[in-house]
Order: sequence, then structure tokens, then C-alpha cells
Amino acid sequence: MSLRSIRFLFLAAVLSLATLSARAQDILIPMDIRQSNHLKAYGIVFWLLEQDETVDWLLNYRGGSFLASGFNGLEQELQVRGVYFERIDTGASARIIAEVESEEHNTAVVRLETAPNIAVYAPEQTLPWDDAVLLALEYAEVTYDMLYDDKILDGNLREYDWLHLHHEDFTGQYGKFLQYRNVPWYIEQQRDTEQMAARYGFRKASRLKLEVAQTIKEYVRQGGFLFAMCSGTDTYDIALAAHRTDIVPAEYDGDPVDPDALSRLDFDMTLAFENFTPVFHPAEYEHANIDSGPPPPALRNQAIDYFTLFEFSAKWDPVPTMLTQNHVATLKGFIGQTTNFRKAFVKPSVVVLAEAPNRDEVKYLHGNFGEGTFTFYAGHDPEDYQHYVGDPPTDLDLHKNSPGYRLILNNILFPAAKKKKQKT
Amino acid sequence: MKHTAQDRNIKRWSDPSFPRLCSADIPMQCTFLPIRSWVGAVVLTALTGALTGAPVFDAAGQQQENPQIVRFRLADTFLRSGQFDQAIGLLEDLYEEAPQNDAFYQKLKEAYENVKRYEEAAALVKARLADTRSATLLSDLARIRYLQGNEQEAHATWQEAVETAPTDPNTYRVVYRSLLGVRQFEHAVLLLEQARSATGQPALFRVELAYLCSISGLHEKAAAEYLALLKENDQHLSFVRSRLGSFLEEKEALASSLAVVQDAVRTDPLYRAWRELLGWLYVEAEDFGNALGEYRAVDGLEGGQGHMLFEFAHTAADAGAWNKASEAYREVLARYPDAPAAPRTLAAFGAMHMRWAAEIGERPFDESGDRISASHYDEALAAYQTFLQQYPNHELYPDVLHRIGRLQQDVFFDTGSAETIFLQVVAAFPNTRAADQAAFDLAGIAIIHGQLDDARLRFGRLIERLRTGDLVEQARFNLASIHMFAGEFDAAQSLVDVIDAHTSTDVSNDAIALKILLLENRGPDSLDMPLRRYASALLAREQRRPLAALDSVDALLSMYPSHALADEARFLRGEILRAAGRRQEAYETFAEIPLMYPASFLADRALFEAAGILSDESGRKEEAIAAYRRLLSEYPGSLFADKARDHIRRLRGDGV
Repeated sequence: MSLRSIRFLFLAAVLSLATLSARAQDILIPMDIRQSNHLKAYGIVFWLLEQDETVDWLLNYRGGSFLASGFNGLEQELQVRGVYFERIDTGASARIIAEVESEEHNTAVVRLETAPNIAVYAPEQTLPWDDAVLLALEYAEVTYDMLYDDKILDGNLREYDWLHLHHEDFTGQYGKFLQYRNVPWYIEQQRDTEQMAARYGFRKASRLKLEVAQTIKEYVRQGGFLFAMCSGTDTYDIALAAHRTDIVPAEYDGDPVDPDALSRLDFDMTLAFENFTPVFHPAEYEHANIDSGPPPPALRNQAIDYFTLFEFSAKWDPVPTMLTQNHVATLKGFIGQTTNFRKAFVKPSVVVLAEAPNRDEVKYLHGNFGEGTFTFYAGHDPEDYQHYVGDPPTDLDLHKNSPGYRLILNNILFPAAKKKKQKT
Repeated sequence: MKHTAQDRNIKRWSDPSFPRLCSADIPMQCTFLPIRSWVGAVVLTALTGALTGAPVFDAAGQQQENPQIVRFRLADTFLRSGQFDQAIGLLEDLYEEAPQNDAFYQKLKEAYENVKRYEEAAALVKARLADTRSATLLSDLARIRYLQGNEQEAHATWQEAVETAPTDPNTYRVVYRSLLGVRQFEHAVLLLEQARSATGQPALFRVELAYLCSISGLHEKAAAEYLALLKENDQHLSFVRSRLGSFLEEKEALASSLAVVQDAVRTDPLYRAWRELLGWLYVEAEDFGNALGEYRAVDGLEGGQGHMLFEFAHTAADAGAWNKASEAYREVLARYPDAPAAPRTLAAFGAMHMRWAAEIGERPFDESGDRISASHYDEALAAYQTFLQQYPNHELYPDVLHRIGRLQQDVFFDTGSAETIFLQVVAAFPNTRAADQAAFDLAGIAIIHGQLDDARLRFGRLIERLRTGDLVEQARFNLASIHMFAGEFDAAQSLVDVIDAHTSTDVSNDAIALKILLLENRGPDSLDMPLRRYASALLAREQRRPLAALDSVDALLSMYPSHALADEARFLRGEILRAAGRRQEAYETFAEIPLMYPASFLADRALFEAAGILSDESGRKEEAIAAYRRLLSEYPGSLFADKARDHIRRLRGDGV
């Protein structure tokens, strides 16, 4: 046997021993700045939950780390997906748990037990802009189903724990993209929506979308988790508020706005916002004064535009804490059709999770409704400061540690904290 | 005393507390007004003209405006600022005073509609209808009824409008526009079809109907209309393609349009415009086989110039549909040998085979170096040679000749033939791009032949003559390499410093790599013997003398096993062995680099290359995966880590 062959055999033996010893260990997936790929780390946790493994989410511990038992094949999967991890023995993991659960630190352990069923509300039609949540889920390799108006109205929502809305217009104004009205994607979108409306007995898209919004609200009331971004946030509440009036200009639905629309708005119906005023001008790319719009020109610079996350008590406020887990407290701002929410229109019952400092603007908020919760995150794409129509989708391989995208993925794990059904 | 409405509004207007816009505001606002308001302004101007037929003068002899115009303007201003109640009050009074005035009527109706007072708007129209029963008024009434939610009544009224003059196309135009206003596209389609039969004009509203069908998703009908349009005038082909093309992104549009056009071509296979449209649709559907059939037919119908087939072949080649592209090129050459397109076809046919061969990694020699069949390279060579024989005076001649030279040099490794050809290009076609390239290639051949001085001279002349450009930068880099091969490391370094400064050029990365090699690997003796050995190996590889290159590398490794160049030399050894087809030896060489030089900058790359050799061989999938995993475990921060992850997932069939 040649010297070279002996060298290879030795190496193989060392590798085998290392693998055997690792099986008796726990795996810590740190989520602080040492993590090589934060976004795939969420995918790994989701994958573990799908394998019926449990994972401990160590809130506020090293950026919201995950602790899992040395599940067979986990290390290889972590390596393949490029996720940084640390092998720790069971004694060390017990010490970490004890430290996290101690009263001295603002930390807590949340056991994740069930892989949530995720639905993304999006049309089959390909629209010329990216969807940050779809990108995040795809990149993290998290499984999800897509559904749209018909499936929601047919009652399919009850099969899901989590629903995401992104760049959607629940007011029935097709995103207020009037300038694109002669472009094929806009024509197709408008036609499909009108046909869908007619199928469900509505003469107008706005009525169809209202019905969808109300169905989603009922889903939340019964315990569903709703996460919305960009215009999926404010247009949702605007549609609910306008349930007994017409706020859609003739350019979108053929008849004018109700002259008494303002007095007929019903803010008791909304989830997060109140006392706002819809924008009735058809060509103004804005739905209401909820959105503060892009930062003022002096601040419209991605180098200086940022927002900050609030810190919550991990032991007493675990839900907001879960939603704000991150390795940084200050995040890059990003613009969308809805960029930030004006604080003045946020309901007092809503918890503000992140804000644009010194601007009275909220970036990220959370609230309860009935048995469920809703989370609204303003802006379009956390890694594309200004995403224009027709821009290519963001390549998340270039943003593996994106704090902005982490906030989206926190939301998918938050429903995983739900207890497994016990066998009786 | 009862004030008239006119008095009342004039008083309100003169009241300083009454909200008003100064006259200067109005034109400023108009800049941003929607079309409806702009039309209002035009109406207003017309109205001014109508009512001021006789100018009114005040006591001072100044011209005064008619008070009705002033009130009308005021109402218009109210409407624009959203003060509908005030506007309606004024307009109702104006209408009461002059019910025949069309501007008052129109504005009042608009105001009612703005506040959804549809009943009053309808009553206004009905009052006019009592005097005149026109399609315009009935359409207006129908539209208002539709907005009220009375769809059935609305459609009956539109039909009534049609019946006012059922044989007049203008009637249908009026009703059609009214239907479009409330997005009743499918009813509009039916109406236009009705217009055709009622007027006996089957071609009426052709373009309108086609577009209406497209936006309604009735793609089959749209295609049928466009076909009819083409039948009427085949000059509309570009227009039809652009109209149809904008909707082909919709998933059903392409299939539906294709089916309709296929049927049409079946009924009239000799109509050229239809067949060209069908060919284009097939290309859009990436069905190059059927597309070729259509373009072949079009060429036949056109009178045999081969132009359409040539264009199709280009498109198919760009899409990588090599077989169909090849078939089309061959057909042009066979059917139209004397056509103007023939020479370019032959040159393009050769170039296509070159691209095809490169894509599939065709090699004209087996692992032992014996010449084997390389169909695509052989085809390319044959095409170029035929070109030279048949078109000696064609403008592409120097370029094609140069391409043959490159083929001989790069693919068939026949430097003798290549040199002869390059010399011919330089001598016969001076001052052409092909001649510059040939001069550059001649210098490369001189390196291969070991004539470094000759090569140096040729590159130098080229640099002096051309002065700037990519070819010059490449020549400078090659000059630096020649200095390195000759052991003139200081001279080499001076030259790469110049190239390194031009970071925008393609060769700047190579220059930086060479610079680092020269900076880091001098010594330990005053003659830089290890680096000289390494340079010799590089030169031998360049000269396609793998055994000599291996000898130099092995000598370097045995004499200077601990020199800083050892890892690079071993990596070079792996590359030479792999190029020579000695894959197992190459694998072993690459695999031992991370064991022997774990801190080397080449360690992860060597592991990646080793894994790559395994993954290319059948039955060694698991070994390849293990090698990639080793790379991920031992070099997690490697630049190759992402690629290694992708390869693992591909090898285990993840489908990610």
C-alpha cells in the first residue's frame, strides 16, 4: 500500500470518528454576526420541524439562536446549506438553557414544535415586481402554497396557520398603476380581477377585494396569523374601513367616488389604522395618508435612511420579542408603495415593533385580533432600496445576512411555537 | 324681493368670506387637470364664443363678459375643486334659464354623475330625449342606468340606441364608445359583430374588434381578426405582429393564436403573410421544427431568394436550436446557391458549427492524442473552405480565412497550416481587422515554436502600430509572459504594472495574477531557479508539450519541495494531467494539495477540482459528494463553497 493511500485511509477514519462523536451532541445555530447565512438558518429550522424534531428558539441569545438535538444528518444539511453551527455537548446546552431562562437576562426559550402551514396570497399571473416574502421563502427553502381570491372565498384559508400579503391592493384600484393601463400585464390583471368578481357575484373589483379582506379578517379572528408588507398593509385596512362606501375613482371602476365617502368610513372595522383619509386622485400613487411616503429628499439616501427595532421583555412579551429577533437593532430603510406608517393613524392597541427615528413613522407593527394576530411591515424589498416596476428580483445569495429579510422569516417561525396536538 | 339664482351667486362670489380661487389659480390648476376638465375648458371657450356674439360694454366703454359665462366659469371652478353642491346649484339655475344650451346640459349631467345622483342625471337626459331621440343621448342614458346598477335596463337602452339608425356605422361607434366607458368589453365585441351584419360590411371595425378581443382574453377571435386584416392587406404584418406580440406573455394567448393561424394556413396555404405569421408564432413558441417548415414555404412563395430561411437560421442558432438552424442554412445553400444571401449563409453556417462544437465540448483528438472525427469542427472547416473557393472577392474573405487559421491553431493544433494562413491574411489584406488579429496570432505561433524573440518582435510591432485597444493590452500581457518565460522577471513585472493600472481591460486580472506570482516567488537563490523552472513548465504547456511541462514541474518539486511555489507547481501538475486526459492522476494530484499544503490559497480550489473530476465520472457520485463536503467542512469560507453546495444538491438530486 502506497504512502498516499495510507494517508487517504487515515483521513477517512478521522472523518468517520468525528461524525460518530457529533451524534451525541447538540447543535447550536447562532444567529449573531458569526452566522454565515441567517436566511437559510430559518429554512433549516423549518426543515427540522418538518422532520418532527423540536427546536428551541433562544430569544435575545446571540441574535435569537436556535438549539437542536444532534439529529442524524443535520450537520451535513447545515453544511450543504451553508449555515454556521456549533457542536455543543449536552452539559453546555443545559448551561445555555439555564442562562437564557435565568431572571438576570432579558432572554427566553420558546420551543418550536410544529412546522406551520404557510399560504402566500398572490395571483398566478407574473407581475413585473418581486415579492419579498416569496423570495425569502424560496431562498430559505420553506414550503408554502400560493392562493388567491377564489381559494380564499372558497374557504381554503382554514387549512393554513400563516398567511402573507405583499404588494396587493385591497381597495380594488389595481395598485393605482394608472400609467400602466395599456400595458398587457395591467390589462390582464384588471380583466382577471373583473372576471373573478363577476364569478362571485360582484360588479366591481373593490367589492370582491373587500369580501376577500373580510374573509381574511375572519380567519385572523379565529386564530390565523396574518403578515402583510408594502401596500398589502394599508390597503387592507382602507378596504375594511370603506365597506359601506365607494372610494374608488371612475378611472378604476367606471363610477366616481362617493361624495360622502369620508364620513362613511368605518374605522371600527380596521385592524391597525384609524382616522386616515383615502387619496381619491386616480393618478396619485398613494392610497391614503397612512403612508408617509418616501423619506424627504434630504434623507432619501440608503446610506442614511434606517429604522430601529424596539426591545421587548422576552419573558413577558415573547411574541413581539420573537418578531424582532435580529443580529442588529438598526436596519436599513427601504421604500415601497407604502414606505412607513404615520404614527398618528396607528390604533393605540397596536404594538409598534420598529420605527423610523425622529420621524413619527412606524415601520413594523403587530397586534391581536380575536384569537389571531396580524403583523404589518412597511416597504417593498428590504434589500432593494427603491424597487421599480420591471426591476429584476433581488438575488438573496448576495444578502444572506439581511436583517430586513430576517424580520419576514421571524414571522414564519412565530406560528411554529404553537403546541402540537396531544394524542389522546 | 326674490333674488334670482344669478343674483344669489354673484353675491356669494363678491362675499370676501366665500371660498374662492383667484383667476390666476385657474390656469395653474389646468396644467394638472384630468381630461374631463380639459374638455370642460374647451366647452367653456366655445360657450364664450357662442354667448358673446355681441360684445357687452360697460359705462366706461370696457368690454364686459356675459353674466352667464361668469357663473358657468364659477360652477366649473367649484366642480374642479370638489365643491359639487355649489356647482350643481349654479348649473341647475343656468340650465333652467337656457335648457337648450348644450354646455349647461353637459356640465350639469357631469356634476350629477360626480356625486352619483344618477336619477337626476337620467332625468336630464330623458328631458332631452323628449325633443331628440338620438343614439348619443340613448347611449348616455344607458351608461347612467348601468352606473345605477340597472344592467338589464342599460343593455335594453343601448339596443334602443342602435335601433335609431341600425344601418349607420356611426351609430355603432357611438354605442361602442359608451360601452367601453363602463368596461363592457364583451358586449362591445357583440355590438361590433352586430354592426357588421346590420351594415353588410364584414370588414367594419376590424382593428377595434381585434384589440377588444385581445384585452378581453378572446385570443382566438383576436387572431382571426388579425388574419382577416392581413388578408385585406399583407403590408400590415409588422403591425399585426406587434399587436399580437404584446399579449403573448399571457399563458393561453400563444396557444390560441397558433391554433387559429394554423387552421387559416390549412385553408389557404399559399397566402404568404399568414405563413410568415405562423412561422413567427412557432418561433415564439420555441417550436423551431414547425417554424422552419413555415419559413421554407414563405421562401418558396417569395420567389426563392433564401432571405427568410437565412433570418430564421440566425434566430434558431441564437436560441441554441442547432439542428434546425443547420437544416435551414443547408437549405439556403442547396436551394439558392446564387442568391445574395448565399456567401453570408456559408460563413454563418461555419460559425454556427464552431459554437455548437464548443457547447458540447467536442474534441478532435482522443486521450492518446490520435485524431478522431469531430463532426462540427470538420463541418465548420469545410464550410469556410468552400467559402474561400466560391467567393474569393467577397468582403468577408479575410475574416473567413483568419477563422480557418484559428481553427487550425486552436482546435486541430496544426500550427504550420495556421501560420501559413495568418501570413496570407497579413500580406493580402493589410489594414483590416482580420490582418491585425492574424499578426497577433502569428506572434502566438512563434511562442509555440519557441521563437520567443520573433514573438516579442511581432507583439512589439503590433503595439506600436495600433497603440490602443484590447488587442494591444493582450499583446502587452503576452510580451510580459514572454519575458517571464525567458526568466526576465524584472522586465515582465514592469510590463504587468502598466496593464495592472488599466483595471478596465479584460487582461488586467491575468496581469494582477502574474504580478503576484512574480512578487511572491523570487529566490531563494540569486537566479530565481524555482521560478525559472515554473516558467519553463508554463511555456511547455503553452507549447502543448505536456511531458516536458510535467518534467519541469516534477524537477521543481523534487529540488525545492518547501519553496513557496510548491503548491502552485502541484496545482499546475494537476491541470496538465487533466488536460492530457490522465484523470485519475490529476484527481490524486489535486486531492493531495489540501493534505500537503492545508494553508495554501489553492487548497480549497484543488479540492474543488478533485471533486469535479469525480463528479464527471459515472459511478463516483458518492465520492464526489464526499469531496465537496470535505471542502465545506475544511474550508467553510471558501469562494468555492457556494458552488460546492450547488454541486452536492445537483448530485443528490435535490432539484433546488
